[in-house]
Amino acid sequence: MDIEDPRFWRAGAISTTAVMLVVLGFLTVDSLALTRAGSVRVPGYDVINQHIDYTYDWSRGFDVPVIGAPEPLFADVYTLAQATALMDRGKLVIQSRACIDCHTFFGNGAYYAPDLTKAWLDPAWSQIWMPMTGTKTRADAMVEFLMHPDRYPTWTRRMPDLHLSRDEARAVVAYLKWMSAVDTNGFPAHFGHIQIQN
Amino acid sequence: MYRSQRLALRYFTAAIALFGVMVVAGLLSAVYYLQPSLLYNVFDFQMAKILHINTLVIWLLMGFIGAVYWFLPKELGREVVGIRLAEVLFYVFVAAVLVVAAVFVVVQTGKSNQFSMWFINQGRKYVEAPRWAAAGIVVVVLTFVYNVTATAWQARKMTGILWVLILDLIPLSVLYLDAFPQMTNMSQDLYWWWWLVHMWVEATWEVLIGCLMAWTLMELMGTPRRVVEAWLYIEVMLVLGTGILGLGHHYFWIGTPQYWLGIGGFFSALEPLPLLGMVVHAIYDAGTHHMKTSNRPAFYWVLAEAFGNFIGAGVWGFMMTLPQINLYSHGTQWTVSHGHFAFWGAYGCGVIAIVYLVLQQTRKATEFGGQSWKWGFGLLNVGLLGMVGGLLVAGIVQAMYERAQGGSTLQAFVVASENHWFQSGMYARLVFGALFAVGYAVLVYDLLRIGRRVSAAAPAQLSTA
Amino acid sequence: MSETALAVTAALLGLFVLAGGAYGLIYGAGMLRSSLLMRRTAVACYVSQLLVAALVCLLSPLSTAWKVFLVCSAVAYGFIPPLMWRLLESMHRQPTRSS
Repeated sequence: MDIEDPRFWRAGAISTTAVMLVVLGFLTVDSLALTRAGSVRVPGYDVINQHIDYTYDWSRGFDVPVIGAPEPLFADVYTLAQATALMDRGKLVIQSRACIDCHTFFGNGAYYAPDLTKAWLDPAWSQIWMPMTGTKTRADAMVEFLMHPDRYPTWTRRMPDLHLSRDEARAVVAYLKWMSAVDTNGFPAHFGHIQIQN
Repeated sequence: MYRSQRLALRYFTAAIALFGVMVVAGLLSAVYYLQPSLLYNVFDFQMAKILHINTLVIWLLMGFIGAVYWFLPKELGREVVGIRLAEVLFYVFVAAVLVVAAVFVVVQTGKSNQFSMWFINQGRKYVEAPRWAAAGIVVVVLTFVYNVTATAWQARKMTGILWVLILDLIPLSVLYLDAFPQMTNMSQDLYWWWWLVHMWVEATWEVLIGCLMAWTLMELMGTPRRVVEAWLYIEVMLVLGTGILGLGHHYFWIGTPQYWLGIGGFFSALEPLPLLGMVVHAIYDAGTHHMKTSNRPAFYWVLAEAFGNFIGAGVWGFMMTLPQINLYSHGTQWTVSHGHFAFWGAYGCGVIAIVYLVLQQTRKATEFGGQSWKWGFGLLNVGLLGMVGGLLVAGIVQAMYERAQGGSTLQAFVVASENHWFQSGMYARLVFGALFAVGYAVLVYDLLRIGRRVSAAAPAQLSTA
Repeated sequence: MSETALAVTAALLGLFVLAGGAYGLIYGAGMLRSSLLMRRTAVACYVSQLLVAALVCLLSPLSTAWKVFLVCSAVAYGFIPPLMWRLLESMHRQPTRSS
C-alpha cells in the first residue's frame, strides 16, 4: 500500500481512532472514580457541615479548597443522607431554573452573570448582602437574595426573580457550598485576592 | 428528483428559517449587555440565550440531515429506504421545535421537579429542551440512521464516504443520550456533558461535514472519488487523532484529575494541524480550477469554510487552549468569541455552501452567480468577523482584569464588565451582529431568487436561437 | 501569570498559528502560480512563525515542557504544506508547474 492509496489512510484512520478511544476509555474510568462524591477531589455532600476555605498550596502551585472545622449550615448538622437529598434538590433547582444559561459553574455555562464555582466564598455576601438583607449569616443572606433577587440589586445587570421557594433557595445555597469544596486544579485563580502586577 | 431530495429541500428550508430565529435571539441577547433592564422579569437574558444556542444546534443538524438526504440517493442510485417515515418525522420534528420554543418563550422555567425536566426546561446548556423533545430527536435521528444504513444495505453498495458516514452516525446518535440524565454531581454531569458537546462539534460533526464536503467537492469541482475518499480518511485520522483526547481541554477545571491539564492541552494544541491541511487542500482545489466554477456562491462558501474553520477553531482555539492561559480565559467572552467563530467557520459556511450547490441543481441553472450572493457573503462574514473581534476584546479584558488581576469575585466581574474596552467590545458585537442580520436577510433573498431568472430566461433564448 | 503576560502570551500563540496558516496559504498559491516570490514569502511566514515561537520561549511564563512542545510543533508546521502539496499532486496525478 502506498500513500496514494486510500486504503493506507483508511487503515491509519481506523487504528488512530481505536487507540485514542481505548486511552479515553481508561482515563474515563479513572476520572469517574476520582470525581465521585466522597473522593479526594470531590468531597462527600456532608462537607456542607464544615468550614470551607481556598488557600494557596505551594506543592501544587495554585489555590486548593481546604475543609476545616465544623460549621453548620443553617444552624443544622446534616447526615450524609440528608445532605445528599439536599444536593439532589439543589441541582434540580439549578437545572429547572436554567441557572447555567446566565451563570457559569466551574466556568461552564453562560457569561452574563458571575461564575458560581466559589460563590460560597465571595466576600460580597458578608460585605453587601448581609447588611442589605438584614441577615446574620452568609447562608441566610444568600437565601434571601435567591428568593427575591429583584429586591437586592447591586448593579445595573440584575438577577431576575425565578420564584424560588425558601426550601429551594436553601438547597441551592447548600449546593454552592459543596461546589466550592471541589478540587478544580486552581480555578478560579487566587479567588478573592487581587493581584496587581509589579 | 428523488423523494429524499424533496425532503432535503424541506430540511434546508427549516434550517434557514431557524438560522433566522437564531440571529434574532442572538441580537436580543447582545442588547441585554447594553440595556440590562430590557424586559426584566418578563423575558430575561437566559431565555434569549437558550433560544439562540438551541436553534444553533437544530439549524445545523437540519442542514446536515438535509444534505445527507440530498446526496444519498445519488450516491446509491436509488430512493432512500423508509422515506415515507422520514417525511412524516420531518413535520413531527418541526412541530416539536415550535412547541419547545413556545414553552421557552411563554413558560420559560418550572419548579424543581421531574415534570419540569420532562415538559419545560432541563436547564443543561445546548440541551435545555425537555425530555419529551429530546426523545423525539432520538426518534428522528434513529430513523435517519435507519434510512442511511437500510438504503445502503438494499442497494448492496457501500462507498468509502458512506462507510465513514454510517460509522460516524452511530456515536453521533449514542452521544445524544447525554441529553437525558439529571445528575447531582456537577463534576460528573459536566464530564459526560462534554462527551456530547465536544464529541459532537469537535469530532463526529467534523467527520460528518467532512463526508458532506467530500460529496460537495465531487459535484462542485469534479474531484475524483478516490481523492476525496483518501482525504476524508486523512481528515478522520487527524481530527479524531487530536480531537478524542483533545476533549481533555474541557477537563481542566471541573474537578477531574490534574493529568488532564497535560493531556488535554497537548492534544488540543495539535488540533489546528489538520485544519492547516484543509487550508492547503482548499488552495489546491481552488487553484487547479483557476478559481473558475459554474457555482461561484458554493465555491466561495466552501473556501470560507476552510479558512473560517482554521482561523475560528484553529487560531482562536490555540490562543486559549493551553491551561496556563485557559485558567484566565475560561468562562469569559473570549470563549464566546471562539465559539461563534468556530461554529460559523466549521459548520455554518459548509451548510450554506451545500444549499447553494443543491439549488443550482434543482433550478437547473447552468451558470449560478449574480451580485446578491456576494452581498450576503460579504455582510455575513464581515458581520461575523466584527462580532468575534468585539467579543475577543471584551474577553481579553475579562481575563486580564476579572481573573488575572481581580480574583474572579463578583466585584471583579463587575469591574471588568464596566471597563471601557469591555463595553466597547459589546457595542461592536451588537453593531456587527446587526450587520450579520442584514447579511442573513440578503442570503435569504438570494436563496429565494438565485438561478430562477437564468432558467426562466433560458427558454426565451432557445426560442430565439 | 500577570495580566500583561497573559495577554502577550495568548496573542503570540494566536500569531503562531496564524503565521503557520499564512505559510500554508501562500506556499500553495506560490506552487499554483509557479511564483518564486510567493514561495519565498511563504518561507518568510514560516520564519515568522519560528520567531514567534522564540518570543514565546523568551517572554512567556510557560513552563519549559510547553516551550519545548511549541518548538517541536513549529518544526512540524514546517513540513505540513510541502508534504500536503506533494500528496495532493500525487493523488490527483496533475503536477503543478514549479520553477
